[in-house]
Amino acid sequence: MKKLLGIFLGVFTAIGGFMDIGDLVTDALIGARFGLSLVWVTVVAVVGISAYTEMAARVATITGRPVFDLVRERMGPRIALGNVIVSYFVNAITLVAELCGVALAIELLTDVHYLLWVPPVALLAFLVLWKLPFEHMERMYGLTGLTLFVFVVAVWQLGPDWGQMWHDVVHPTIPGGEGLPTYFFYAVVMLGAQMTPYEVFFFSSGAVEHEWDEGDLGEARWNVFLGYPIGGALAIGIQATAYLVLQPAGIQVEHLSQTVLPVAVAFGKVGIALAVLGIVAATFGSLMETLLSSSYTVAQHFGWPWGKAKAPVEASRFTALTIVTLLLAVGVALTSLNPITITIYAVYLGAATLPFTYVPILVVANDRRYLGEKVNGWFANAFGLVYLVVVSLAALAALPLLLVTKGGL
Amino acid sequence: MTREHLDVGLDLLDRHVVDRDGRDVGKVDDLELTERDDGTMEITALLLGPQALGRRVGGVLGRTMEGIGARLRRDDEPARIGLELVAELDVVITLTHPISQLPVGRSEAWFRTHVVEPIPGSRSATG
Repeated sequence: MKKLLGIFLGVFTAIGGFMDIGDLVTDALIGARFGLSLVWVTVVAVVGISAYTEMAARVATITGRPVFDLVRERMGPRIALGNVIVSYFVNAITLVAELCGVALAIELLTDVHYLLWVPPVALLAFLVLWKLPFEHMERMYGLTGLTLFVFVVAVWQLGPDWGQMWHDVVHPTIPGGEGLPTYFFYAVVMLGAQMTPYEVFFFSSGAVEHEWDEGDLGEARWNVFLGYPIGGALAIGIQATAYLVLQPAGIQVEHLSQTVLPVAVAFGKVGIALAVLGIVAATFGSLMETLLSSSYTVAQHFGWPWGKAKAPVEASRFTALTIVTLLLAVGVALTSLNPITITIYAVYLGAATLPFTYVPILVVANDRRYLGEKVNGWFANAFGLVYLVVVSLAALAALPLLLVTKGGL
Repeated sequence: MTREHLDVGLDLLDRHVVDRDGRDVGKVDDLELTERDDGTMEITALLLGPQALGRRVGGVLGRTMEGIGARLRRDDEPARIGLELVAELDVVITLTHPISQLPVGRSEAWFRTHVVEPIPGSRSATG
């Protein structure tokens, strides 16, 4: 019974981990501009991130070491160092986006400008880092984030033409006024938003923080194979509400409030409250995850003691780096750069660097020296290779698409 | 160490090193080779820290790492752990002594004393 409860809570946490500011913004933005014609990307992304997170979880539970701890042994110090620098940068930019996301969501509730919320939110993040046990932290935002399902319920409430919706999903067409490059630019952006590298870093490092071993692999798999698809369903729900409400009204998503608007139409104030609560929880969770992932990757590369579960003095460099990263993120957020623009670029950067995350995982998951009998089977490798091609194509296409579409205009 | 064959690149370099009690010590950033009388080379020590890694990385970045390491250690030579201190070779390399008795960990200690310890509550683990 306790085990079952643990699995349930783990699944909720994974759902919360899947949803972040990048998702919330791109889902609504894409739903409003492209309707349901990019739902297929979400399906592709969910399968891909599930396959790779399972590999990373397998490596972590069997060896007791997260994937990026092992990357250096296989790729050599130079490539691995380059990889760490890129990963840190992408995680840190995503952290800025999440930080602004939490602050923007609180602005929706309080009508106080988001920049004023950035420092208190960062302080709260520090206190959670300092005081809250790892598992409590995950469950706090995992469970609260479930209120986001108001987006899925809203689809029913809005009473759509289901046949038409299904048709739009399986026969994607590009809406009039949008070019083919723009369509593919947003396909790449969505892939980046939903296959976010930090999810893999965090899940595999989290497995070590939880002190999971081989016996916990089953639970880890449940978390991944149930949690991520449900997270994906949530993402499609947000796209659908935007498609039903924003697209017909010709509303473009330029602010987080527009993500919430369809729920307000469906359920009024209660809907807004639930949606915003869910957004605060999910983005705050992602804030913690991107913050920790930034220092996880660096500490694991250099072999420093690391872990949120440890006393800070037992992992000094890790803790110092975490604090410095948080302060830098606050600094960048307070420059008042448009947070939605930061979000789109964070997601875009994530997409452009996806192979840096996914190649090492596939390499390590095939290494018998680490995994013995538990190396990838043909099935996992087939998926792994297909996705390697997918993320590589997306990464290669990212820059030309950015230039041609001038950032998706 | 009881293995018959050892692939230096795969089994030693860049491996994670922990002390007797499982505390993280670092990575095998480089190896110390000593020439024997018959002209063959013998691995005599693991080298750890930014100085050792910087040499392998090379370039401006590598030299910067070396410089940082030298300042933290106040020594031009990288931290050295003799091969006789290696207890076990597996996914991680385990040493025979606790980290407090090893000539490593200066930068960790520096950050502990100057950055983390002054913050209240830094000694309690959250779990």
